[in-house]
Amino acid sequence: MKHLLSIILSLHFFTLSLFGVDATLKIEKDVEHRSRIALLDGSSVKNPRVFDILLSDLKISGHFIPDTTHHKGDITGKFISPALKSQEYVLKYSMNQHSGSKLLIRLLKASDGTQVFKKSYAVPSKAKMPFLLHKAINDVNNVLKYPDISWINRYVVYAVYTTPGRSEIRLADYTMTYKKTIIKGGLNLFPKWADAQQRAIYYTSYKELIPTLYKLNIYNGSKQKIASSQGMMVCSDVSKNGSKILLTMAPEGQADIFEMNVASKSKKRVTKFKGIDVNGRYIDNESRIVFISNRLGYPNVFKKSINSAATSQVVYRGRNNNACDAHGDKIVYSSRESNNAFGNNTFNLYLATSGRSSTRPITTMGTNQFPRFSTDGSIILYLKQKGYSTSIGYINLKSSQSLLFPFNDKKVQSIDW
Amino acid sequence: MTHKLLTLTAVISLFLSGCGQTAPDLNGSNNNISDTNAISGDTVSIDESAYGNESEGNYNSSTDGFRSVYFDFGDYAISSNMENNMNNNIKIAMAASSKIKIEGNCDEFGTDEYNYALGLKRAKAVKDSLVSQGLSAGKTVMVSLGESSPVCTEPNDSCYDRNRRVDIRLVK
Repeated sequence: MKHLLSIILSLHFFTLSLFGVDATLKIEKDVEHRSRIALLDGSSVKNPRVFDILLSDLKISGHFIPDTTHHKGDITGKFISPALKSQEYVLKYSMNQHSGSKLLIRLLKASDGTQVFKKSYAVPSKAKMPFLLHKAINDVNNVLKYPDISWINRYVVYAVYTTPGRSEIRLADYTMTYKKTIIKGGLNLFPKWADAQQRAIYYTSYKELIPTLYKLNIYNGSKQKIASSQGMMVCSDVSKNGSKILLTMAPEGQADIFEMNVASKSKKRVTKFKGIDVNGRYIDNESRIVFISNRLGYPNVFKKSINSAATSQVVYRGRNNNACDAHGDKIVYSSRESNNAFGNNTFNLYLATSGRSSTRPITTMGTNQFPRFSTDGSIILYLKQKGYSTSIGYINLKSSQSLLFPFNDKKVQSIDW
Repeated sequence: MTHKLLTLTAVISLFLSGCGQTAPDLNGSNNNISDTNAISGDTVSIDESAYGNESEGNYNSSTDGFRSVYFDFGDYAISSNMENNMNNNIKIAMAASSKIKIEGNCDEFGTDEYNYALGLKRAKAVKDSLVSQGLSAGKTVMVSLGESSPVCTEPNDSCYDRNRRVDIRLVK
């Protein structure tokens, strides 16, 4: 009896050790809850780009298992061809771009052709066609009562170097199909969304003697000077309600992190270190920040409370962890893992949580940089460099789905989503 | 006894080896060198102590009489072979009537904010050096330009060397 008890206890301990998981880091594969869906194109002028974007939207949502065949046919009526009967749903659509972009979608049950949802979309601009498609898939997702994917509708804002000393700030949809330059001329860097509605951005202008932070309304062009600092001036993060921002500034020549109250313009120094402290991101309901510091002699991820001096190391692996992003208590960081002084190096992305020392790799090869969480923290955007080509990648942390889209811009300086 | 035997063996060995070697024939009549230019021409003399800093003497992206200061990969300390440039810079700075802009630059291998902070550390190293030699800190203004303003865009080491620099110019 005594032996039996020991065996049971040992087995229990072994099971806990072996299968104990960090719930926050678990990458789930919940295929059972995804819907099989096929796309049927009824457009008079077939545009493979439209099909590709719809397919990407369905894939990256993590809620669908889309049929990758580009089916074509009549979208009226409830007829479902026998080839599509194995699906759960058929999404019939028609895109018309004779003037502007007009989209009609019908979501049918594949079993009997019952219409579940029907909607028309229109936008005066042909270029904005991708946003109609994202909106449509977002609606289909909501009709089927899946968790929110409204991040799919958001703009990506990014800065690219065009020539030495010059850059442009551009907007794109997440697939990089739609692109528009919103600021050109001079050196304008570090764009950051200023509000949840994406009506304004912060960016750093180098037009004046010292770097100056501006807030720009992207719809009416109104611009407001926020702050300036010699050395560096970067808006690294914006609080959820937009009332506070984290700045990297260097009033005395040392890069440190400050928190600014946007309404009163009052600033509070959050870090004070003689080396480099940059890249502040709010965590833990904005009571703390994570940031990149070289206080141990190499760039690494640290955290500290906004209101106290205590600073602690977050990441215990890697010797060059030089950029991070955060959402809630989740932290994603890029780690340089090869030591070529010049040329391509291996950079991988890792996921960590603010209260734990363990980390999980989410990329395993190549040059993966500029990680950014979606607004709900479920997706990570990043840039992947392979040879001379750059792609923008997305990883769905719940479904493990990942997608890459070509990114045909010059060298990216900074990106926000 | 052993010591005597060893000494005797060494002496005999030295004697035999000396006998076995003929004196070199520098006139070329009795050796394998057929191209006399190979020995008559002057050979190169390479000083590798300046490796990685070849650009300092020849390149300059500062203006108004200042000389750019170049840095090693990932570093922000002013190396001793930049002393001449810094000696020049302090003379120009002390005589200047307007403010001095100190711009920190990096090569293209950094990312995000960290690279800009590195450029700033370089600018600060130059500013501190100037201030330590008597320049008023209020006469300077620093800006980090990160990797945004390369003077050279070729993918080779000498080009990257030229981009890891601090440029100085007068504020106009």
